[in-house]
Amino acid sequence: MITVHGLVKRYGQRTAVNGVSFSVQASEVFGLLGPNGAGKTTTISILATLLQPDEGQITIGGYDLRTQAAAAKPLIGFVPQELALYPTLSAWDNLAFFGRIYGLHGKQLHARIESVLSLVRLRDRAGEAVRNFSGGMKRRLNIAAGLIHQPRVLFLDEPTVGVDPQSRNFIFEHVAQLKAEGMTIIYTTHYMEEAERLCDRVAIMDEGRIVAMDTTRALINLLGGGVIYVGLPPDSAEALLPAVRALPHVHSASAQDGRLKLETSDAKPALLALIELCNAHNAAILSLEVLEPNLESVFLHLTGKRLRN
Amino acid sequence: MFNQLFALAWKDLKIFFKDPAAVALTFLTPFVFIVVMSYALQGVFGSSEEEALQILVVNQDRGERADGIIQALRDMKGFQIETTWEDQPLSQEVAESLIVAGRRSLAVIFPPEFSSALEQPLLATERLTATVVLLADPVISSQFTEPLLGTLRGLIAREAFAALAPQGIEFLFDRFAPDVPADTRAVLKSQARASMSGDNAPVNVVQRAPAGMQVAQKPNTFQQNIPGYTIYGIFWIVNALALSVLQEKRDGTFRRLMVAPLPRTVLLAGKLLPYYAINLSQIAILLGVSSALFGMSLGHSPAGLILVSLAAAASALGLGVLVSAIARTESQAAGLSLILILTMSALGGCFVPRFVMPDWLRTLGLITPQAWALDAYQDLLVRGYGLREVLPQVGALLGFASLFFGIGVWRFRFE
Repeated sequence: MITVHGLVKRYGQRTAVNGVSFSVQASEVFGLLGPNGAGKTTTISILATLLQPDEGQITIGGYDLRTQAAAAKPLIGFVPQELALYPTLSAWDNLAFFGRIYGLHGKQLHARIESVLSLVRLRDRAGEAVRNFSGGMKRRLNIAAGLIHQPRVLFLDEPTVGVDPQSRNFIFEHVAQLKAEGMTIIYTTHYMEEAERLCDRVAIMDEGRIVAMDTTRALINLLGGGVIYVGLPPDSAEALLPAVRALPHVHSASAQDGRLKLETSDAKPALLALIELCNAHNAAILSLEVLEPNLESVFLHLTGKRLRN
Repeated sequence: MFNQLFALAWKDLKIFFKDPAAVALTFLTPFVFIVVMSYALQGVFGSSEEEALQILVVNQDRGERADGIIQALRDMKGFQIETTWEDQPLSQEVAESLIVAGRRSLAVIFPPEFSSALEQPLLATERLTATVVLLADPVISSQFTEPLLGTLRGLIAREAFAALAPQGIEFLFDRFAPDVPADTRAVLKSQARASMSGDNAPVNVVQRAPAGMQVAQKPNTFQQNIPGYTIYGIFWIVNALALSVLQEKRDGTFRRLMVAPLPRTVLLAGKLLPYYAINLSQIAILLGVSSALFGMSLGHSPAGLILVSLAAAASALGLGVLVSAIARTESQAAGLSLILILTMSALGGCFVPRFVMPDWLRTLGLITPQAWALDAYQDLLVRGYGLREVLPQVGALLGFASLFFGIGVWRFRFE
């Protein structure tokens, strides 16, 4: 449904997106995961025809965005990070306006408004001005506005920012329902739990590049059973390294500046064995960190940086 | 495309009319301004009795000559003459105290010897001199006092000639034609007196409009002020439009609309159309209500009025696009709109007539659309011109609109 090849976008000297390539199948939920400034929003803005890339080729539904953007636009639904709604108008009026912009009118428009309001559970508040809505309700209406014209591809740019837990769960349910209905979704987030829960595949972005891309399970498996960081006196770390590598459940181990990094197939027994080894060699443990296998730790493992900074 | 254009325009109209304060400010503010300023400036532009300049007159003259001048002043529409205060003849002390108290601004004092001075014998060896005094509050500008002094000097000169003429004629008869009978002398003296009076003077001065102007009625203060304040009012659309555009940018609704299959020209046109409609409604309501309530003439050319209004509103809208394109934040837009509207309206003569400005400022005013719009409205509403005469101003206004739109659209960013 979507192919992206060699995408580059520069702002002056800064390269916001640097050679990004991926493809998304129909009915797939594809996540772009990365910290703020990683290039996710720029990528999604280019895909949504808001920005022109400096290099690269994109097709959506078979249409090349460079030459056939007008044909591709009706296929695209866009839910921006901002609450892109008119606060003084009612929920109904907002949806009616965006629907008319996409050429809907009459009974068809009425039916679509009813449908998306039901989907986001705002049907009983349809006549109320949006400015009176809670943050979560506005977010849900923001999604509804992106769905009014029944797009085949939906771009969701950080849709849960500033949302209460209940509304966040609502949004997760909406996305799951849309996926079940066959919609192709690109979902940007810096919350790894959202990506894990919703996405079939995830591209992890950092500094404008994709540093890893696979199914969430495969990405998590990059860490095996988890990673252990142990701080030891500098001479002890180097001295213990051969013995550490021989411990059960340890795939690999390295030492740097008195810090040992152990990649394991199962973190818990590996940690017990490591503590015994240190005791046996009278090596004081100065610090200890265990990365559970999840996308957050995968990101840290791949980039040396945390997702939320 | 037309459905999209309609949807965009309808949406903005809905947003506008859901904000009662904005609606009130748009339509009522210029109207309040018109009413307050028109009444305040009645003394400057007024012509009816209640709008006339109030003058206290203290008549100490022992003769009747001052009475004639006072009556002549009463007959003039520009002056409201008061010779009594609280049912008592006005004295100099009362007149001065009224000016000091700020209750009146001007007083004319005719001295006791006024008639005697005018009527003194032609060949008297000791000449009597009388002094008429104009008391004026120092804050009163010479624009008011000089015309009054000129009027007084003219009336006194006329009265002096009227007093001297019979004596002079009698003297000439006695000296050069003593045989002329008394009844003939009386006829000649009567004719001389009549020719000195205002009604039968051989030379008259009248006021009229130049040829080509069809002034149905003498313009009142509203007629003079409403065009200026209407133009001032319609340019506030600059502020409303710029704020709306920046709000759409801030809220991301422009971003959302740009993803839709919607040409940017349609998006911009749909954004501007409702503000153009609001502007035209403003003009229609202000002129219509002013005509109904204050009897302001709408001139003889509805087509001219429509064309000028369309062009003036287009130039205001163009300026709105320009400010929307230049301003980066809503605060910048509000500040820029304020300074542009006030400065351009003042230069364009919306507050103070351009004819009282120095030459250089009057010339500078021509770089504002307000000056051209005001001139066009005054041509139609006050001078009684028609469509053809306002075409140059319409051309200038459309030129301003094109310039503002051109630069504005060139610099416009949807994000």
